[in-house]
Amino acid sequence: MTDTNSLIDQLANRGAAPPANALARFVAPLAAAGAACVLGAALALDGAFAAMAADGIRPMIVKWGFSLALLLLSAFALWAMGRPGRRTRGAMVALGVPFGLVAALLLLDLAVGNTAFPGTTWQTCLAAMAVMSPMAFAGAIVATRWLAPTKLRRAGLAAGLFGGAVAMTAYAPYCPEHGMLYMAVFYCLPILVMAGLGWLLGPRLLRW
Amino acid sequence: MLDHLIAAARAGDSAAYRQFLAEAAQRIRARLARKIGADSELEDLVQDCLIAVHQKRHTLDPDRPVAPWMNAIANYKLIDHWRKRGRSPIELDDEADIAVPADTLAEVDIETLLEKLPQAQAEAIRLTHIEGLTNREAGARIGVGVSAMKLRVHRGMQRLKELADEDRL
Repeated sequence: MTDTNSLIDQLANRGAAPPANALARFVAPLAAAGAACVLGAALALDGAFAAMAADGIRPMIVKWGFSLALLLLSAFALWAMGRPGRRTRGAMVALGVPFGLVAALLLLDLAVGNTAFPGTTWQTCLAAMAVMSPMAFAGAIVATRWLAPTKLRRAGLAAGLFGGAVAMTAYAPYCPEHGMLYMAVFYCLPILVMAGLGWLLGPRLLRW
Repeated sequence: MLDHLIAAARAGDSAAYRQFLAEAAQRIRARLARKIGADSELEDLVQDCLIAVHQKRHTLDPDRPVAPWMNAIANYKLIDHWRKRGRSPIELDDEADIAVPADTLAEVDIETLLEKLPQAQAEAIRLTHIEGLTNREAGARIGVGVSAMKLRVHRGMQRLKELADEDRL
């Protein structure tokens, strides 16, 4: 008990004012990971937005609509999960919404017989997702460790979704493919794999 | 009360922060004692929680009550504590105590040995092994959960066996 009292004295002497820029210290690793992926893709790949001349803006809107929505939702989920005592079920459920929309568009695509698959650039796409997803995942882990997640698997899963979403956002401008089946297989599946890894690794990487 | 104290502490009142931490320690101790009993690890765990409360204070929203935040941290640290030790109190059962050979404690003065145990463990053993209550009944009598009671009995029996062995040497 005496030790506890002495600990209380020590902590009290340090003061209760929270560290400055708490939000910035969460956002900075996420932004750095995103910037690294965008820059890496720009340096390694040619022909950003080249497919828009032939296919119009719609495929890009669908891809970025999905990836940016997932990116923002997963970042918000991490922020919420990093604050003990907050309900996070809504944030977790929201993470499924972009996937639900892709599933709906995929069914529509299949119904009208638009099944061009797998396209010609799927290997580049998979390689880009495989390289960039872990980079952005690492940024999400660093950001989340600054907070205090208490559900480590859930937080790991959200970090994995963030990693995948960033990779897709960075690579999508260079991708000439536009079928929903392609998007489901070569974007959504790798993102879900990264999320699964996050689920598995969360307890090890996020423990505090 | 905690909310007022932390608000004052955040405004720079270190006396209020000290009072907040003392009050937090008391509440965390009571909460954890219901789950693991009042054994020697309890105070270590309370200290872990206080350090976490201090280090992660930037995750507390100023416009939200402190208690759910603090309780979530205490629960997390308790689960982490069990994970570190590679066990959960749920795994403890009466068999662990029955596994102590019957003649281990024969020919020794049980009351003398019990006096050498922490009071909570000695009381748990008196209730379950001398008075013959179940863990649930004993827990209900002294106001702790079944898991905490099992843990106290288990640790008490282990310690008792060690003491009996030392006496024989």
